[in-house]
Amino acid sequence: MPRAIWSGSVSFGLVNVPVKLVTATSPKDVRFHQLHDADGGRINQKRVCSVDGEEVDYGHIVKGYDLGGGRYVVIDPEELRTIDPESTRTIDIEEFVDLVDIDPIYFEHSYYLVPDERAAKPYALLVEAMAGTGKVALGRFVLRTKQYLATLRAKDGVLVLSTMLYPDEVVEAAELDVPSAESTRPSEKELTMARQLVESLSTQWDPSKWHDDYRERVLELIDRKAEGLEIAQVPEPAAAAPVVDLMAALEASLAAARAAKEGTGADDVGSERSPARRASA
Amino acid sequence: MSGAVAVDIGGRRLQLSNLDKVLWPDTGFTKGEMIDYYARIAEVMVPHLSGRPITLRRYPNGVEGTSFFEKNCPSHRPPWIPVAPTADRHGKTIGFCLLEEQAALVWTANLAAIELHPSLAQGASLERPTAVVFDLDPGPGADVVTCGRVALLLREVLDTLDLVSLVKTSGSKGLQLYVPLNSETSYDQTRPFSLALAQVLERAHPELVVTTQDRSVRPNRVLIDWSQNAAFKTTVAVYSLRARPRPTASTPVTWDEVERAVGGAGGETLVFDAAQVLARVAEHGDLMAPVLTLRQALPAFG
Repeated sequence: MPRAIWSGSVSFGLVNVPVKLVTATSPKDVRFHQLHDADGGRINQKRVCSVDGEEVDYGHIVKGYDLGGGRYVVIDPEELRTIDPESTRTIDIEEFVDLVDIDPIYFEHSYYLVPDERAAKPYALLVEAMAGTGKVALGRFVLRTKQYLATLRAKDGVLVLSTMLYPDEVVEAAELDVPSAESTRPSEKELTMARQLVESLSTQWDPSKWHDDYRERVLELIDRKAEGLEIAQVPEPAAAAPVVDLMAALEASLAAARAAKEGTGADDVGSERSPARRASA
Repeated sequence: MSGAVAVDIGGRRLQLSNLDKVLWPDTGFTKGEMIDYYARIAEVMVPHLSGRPITLRRYPNGVEGTSFFEKNCPSHRPPWIPVAPTADRHGKTIGFCLLEEQAALVWTANLAAIELHPSLAQGASLERPTAVVFDLDPGPGADVVTCGRVALLLREVLDTLDLVSLVKTSGSKGLQLYVPLNSETSYDQTRPFSLALAQVLERAHPELVVTTQDRSVRPNRVLIDWSQNAAFKTTVAVYSLRARPRPTASTPVTWDEVERAVGGAGGETLVFDAAQVLARVAEHGDLMAPVLTLRQALPAFG
């Protein structure tokens, strides 16, 4: 199971359910490391103090808030915790809303809430009560240094928590410079055709059908390059490179391999080549 | 000549690379030599691969490096390599490579696919194997000669059932015995048949034969692995090279050769490297050819 990133409890009416928050998603990017092009050395990042030029280790790094003019207020994480100790440990369910009413733009990250050992029963009650209602619970809690609005819903017998963006964190469509439907009024015929197209492409949502083709191609490219193959060989390459007969292409390589073996007397594969050559004649 | 070189094989264009790379460090056998072998063996090998989903086992850094099985045909394949979309047991589609010509074997060899593992079934239906296979795998203390003794016992039983069988080396440590079918037979028939035969031999020769994968009961004995008679299982292709210290290949042998090896000639007489395999083919042709054409039906049980 993934590591818990927060622990506390869900508070719902008179029920208090101790839970842990674990991440529910693991995006799969291809990760690259930074290397020095001259010698292939890995690039290290050092945290260096701008005053004395010395490297500083994590134990001596504190958080400062910029007041402007080179002035900072240093804040200790302990001090943050004292502001509202309750909200850092509790997800208080305040109301329930219909899931379909929430525009997906508000969803930020998804996590699973897993019950503490002793909380299996009230947890199951909460899951059971919410399952199939189409409703999500709304609550607030503090994660790291931010108070989040969060939705909780039951999915496959577990609670999924999604952190939500506040309205002022979402860019309003009105701020964009997009011509309105009024000014570009499409004809009834065009609309009908477009709607038919939507209809004909409509299907059931099936996430298993989708995967990252691009990532697969990147991994294939890495695979080929790791093997020492030339990369510039995608479909029809090398217009300039002369195309030769296979045996002509192999000739020099085979001769070199034979010479290497005879030179070292490594084994007898070389001397057995003559019947092999007849074999293809 | 470590760069890429463009070649033309019967009208097919390919880029070959790293021909001088040594894939078998013990013998200095290079990728160029492997490509040469597959190009020369293609004439007898392709008929055994044709129409069958192929799993590639690739060794980018040679036989001593890591390897991976590749079931999905790489998407950077040339357009003339056909793909067989096949639903696996979870319903997910795997697009296996189909290797239908010499140039295709040159292409897989260039990918450092040392080993080719075809399905026992051919064509659209993965459920219809064209042969029954018994994979004889020696445990510690046993060797290819022990496998030869078991193969001769197995042939004896098959003979009494009027079934012709052929045998090849695995190219590694064991032997593989094939019963051609080329008839309307499904794994539902070949599995119980192969299991029953294996168990008959296990009971008659408990000191020599085991039928379970349990390694602890295998010392000095030979596993008759009947479980390869299943969709999605593969057996190494005849004439495929193997990732062994020497560039040995899975080689068809005659029953006389098996008898001579068991009778005292020894296990080394059943080991053939790339050059020896090509020489044997030049002399005997394809000893496995009957596997492709001989029509036989399994006896009905029950």
